[in-house]
Amino acid sequence: MSAVLKPKSKAIVCDGNEAAAWAVTLARVDMVAVYPITPQSSLVEYLAKFVADGRLNAEIVDVEGEHSVLSVLHGGTLAGARTYTGTCGPGLAFMFEPYLRTPGLRLPIVMSIVTRDTLTPQSVWGGHQDAMSVREVGWIQMYCETVQEVLDTTIMAYRIAEHRDVMLPVNVCHDGNYLSYGAARIELPTQEEVDAFLPPPATNWHAALDPARPMAVDPLTGGAGGAGPALFVGYRKGQCAGMQNALAVIEQAHEDWARVVGRRHAPLLESYRMEDAETALVTLGSMSGAGKDAVDAARERGERVGLIKIKTYRPFPVQAVARALAGVKAIGVVDRSVSFGWDCGPLYQDVIGALQFTARHPAAMSFIGGLAGADITTDHFERVIERIRALAKDGQAGETVWLNEKD
Amino acid sequence: MAAYNTIAFKPELCNGCNACMTACATVKTGSPDHVNSRIQIVADEAGFELAMCRQCGDPKCVSNCPAAALAKDGGNGVIEWDGAKCVNCLLCTVGCAFGGIVYNAAAGHVVKCDACGGDPACVKVCEPGALKYLTTANIYREVGDLEDLFVPGLSGCQGCNTELIMRHAMRRIGPDTVLATPPGCIPGMGSVGYNGMTGTKVPVFHPLLTNTASMLAGVKRHYKRQGREVNAVALAGDGGASDVGFQSLSGAAERGEQILFICVDNEGYMNTGMQRSSCTPFGAWTSTTPVGERGSGKTQDAKNMPVIMMMHNCEYVATASTAFMEDLYVKLDKAIDASKRGFAYLHIYSPCTTGWRFPSQENIEVARKAVETNFVMLWEFDPRDGLRLTRSLDNPQPIAEYLKALGKYRHLEPEQVDRIETTLQKNVELIRDLAEGRRPAMAGR
Repeated sequence: MSAVLKPKSKAIVCDGNEAAAWAVTLARVDMVAVYPITPQSSLVEYLAKFVADGRLNAEIVDVEGEHSVLSVLHGGTLAGARTYTGTCGPGLAFMFEPYLRTPGLRLPIVMSIVTRDTLTPQSVWGGHQDAMSVREVGWIQMYCETVQEVLDTTIMAYRIAEHRDVMLPVNVCHDGNYLSYGAARIELPTQEEVDAFLPPPATNWHAALDPARPMAVDPLTGGAGGAGPALFVGYRKGQCAGMQNALAVIEQAHEDWARVVGRRHAPLLESYRMEDAETALVTLGSMSGAGKDAVDAARERGERVGLIKIKTYRPFPVQAVARALAGVKAIGVVDRSVSFGWDCGPLYQDVIGALQFTARHPAAMSFIGGLAGADITTDHFERVIERIRALAKDGQAGETVWLNEKD
Repeated sequence: MAAYNTIAFKPELCNGCNACMTACATVKTGSPDHVNSRIQIVADEAGFELAMCRQCGDPKCVSNCPAAALAKDGGNGVIEWDGAKCVNCLLCTVGCAFGGIVYNAAAGHVVKCDACGGDPACVKVCEPGALKYLTTANIYREVGDLEDLFVPGLSGCQGCNTELIMRHAMRRIGPDTVLATPPGCIPGMGSVGYNGMTGTKVPVFHPLLTNTASMLAGVKRHYKRQGREVNAVALAGDGGASDVGFQSLSGAAERGEQILFICVDNEGYMNTGMQRSSCTPFGAWTSTTPVGERGSGKTQDAKNMPVIMMMHNCEYVATASTAFMEDLYVKLDKAIDASKRGFAYLHIYSPCTTGWRFPSQENIEVARKAVETNFVMLWEFDPRDGLRLTRSLDNPQPIAEYLKALGKYRHLEPEQVDRIETTLQKNVELIRDLAEGRRPAMAGR
């Protein structure tokens, strides 16, 4: 099975969609269910090709829509399979019903969200609105900055999802257009390296369908009397505990992965030039590179600015965020999506929530950019830095700034 | 109505002694000459074959007869020959594929098995037990030995037909099964269970109402990959099959997923309070097609689910009714077998005493009337042989007999009954055409 893979890690040039397909192959996934949607389509094409070429020894189920994509994986996972799929935008919306159910069933499915802005206006381009719309469903969400991080995180996602203390599904989010189609040189780990890191899948006997061990999966639970309500609470609390346990498991997985391949990614958040910083940018996903460039330029001018890149968004690393931002005076959170109820970005909401755990409660402002495939450039970040410089002085947070409004 | 009887033959037990032919010829003609026997055991290199009347559900000899000399007895199922009407044209022999009705030179006319009035001579002398005389009661005794895979005390309504279907289907399918019961009456009565307790002895789960076939496909594919033979079975209501679950059902059928999908059709959402589904027939009262000053039941016809599934080129599709249990069991066996090769779909009609408004003790009678009026037609399909009737559509009872038995049709105006009759005729014509090859049962393959 691994004969086609060279024994030593090698460098290849590929985009984020191909990198995810390589990760799935190296993770020895048993089953993939696929349905194409822009900008994920080439990802499932790579998977189909890898199966056809005999590289990926997996059952591939070409179903009639995303609802069935995840439903097939529910069945496969309940029968003991390691499973994978990817989707985005309208596809994610269509699979919402089984998506909603996945964490409650504690199914360790890994699914890429190749992020795309949601309808309407009709749009096929990148944006985080799809992933953000499902942030409270109970899936773990990790956002990648680079093509290499897509590959590494997708492999690590299985370690995290299948961990006994977690047993929850994971979304590996990579930005539509910017990461899905942006090619980069990456290191492809060897099968031996991945095998050393990732144990074979173990059936989750919390919920499994096997005639050798009959079990009723998901009886009606709850109601107004008897054991029901307490049982329901027990399941919900257990799910929340799994989510919180994931924080340590994610850190350990990144640590172990670094030991195997010699590459280290920040597990929960990355602090970039935050030493002595007075102001800080907070970013998510592929925009972080431009943000770091802007920080470098400002530092050269003598400005004390740094950047926090959130990698793990769900569970939200509240304490790590509070610690990272405790010492600054002003924060600019740049979102690639919108919270309609609050008229700001969703990451901004989470950050100001975490700031409650700091002694000085730094001032923060919401910036929204990169909707529907728009570029967030170093110029945009310059504007953010300029605005929060003022915020640090006067503490007067203004209304949400829409970065691409006049582009 | 008496039970239907069958002389069943197991060739693997036959030793070729021919005692049956001697007994038959002696009883029927006084001479032991095998040429006069109504039962013929034919030896070939593959073993033994039986040439004898099968008392078919849809007898070709009867439909071929221009003189009405042949008729199926509705009581015992035996096809009777009337010498007074026979014109000796022998067209009946052309219709029969089983050598069950043949010209006999000594008699000067066709002869056939009449089951000796319920005590067949051939069976009595068969020492190795290759011939057995099976009655409905015998069939029940046989399946009664199979384990009931549901616990006692499922909380179905009194006289629930669906519970009967569940128990019979699962005891035949057996324990090496993963069972999906999407939301509806079936989990409602406790198949998956409540608060940690379950009503089923095999692995069972609640799919969503929408994704039964897809979840089962995932289960089955992984077991196949592991080389384990596990039946993937759905017991779904008509709503979960024909409405919101239809996309996943159609997709799984198109892909030929190796699943047995049983649609238990009680013509609506009976569990949630009797709302209409796309399987609810025209004119029927439901809680969302109520009867009032401006409403008079459902205004559209039912979706013909079994025909739609047949058009997917499934490995096997059949309709069945609990009033015809032998037929149902034969189809279950074929469906289980077909699901090892591809998608199998069984559509079983399940009159609902609560939602259709009739006394619970009349459930099987209502199921029988549905079939005898052709409102429900019993047939089966496979891609090689196309559609085949398993019960004749001839001489149906008037549809009014069925409609008046049900409270949900009590309000019907004469013009609504007319429309039901017209639609019924069209449906019968369609199935007849398919059965007789006037229309192809499917494209492709």
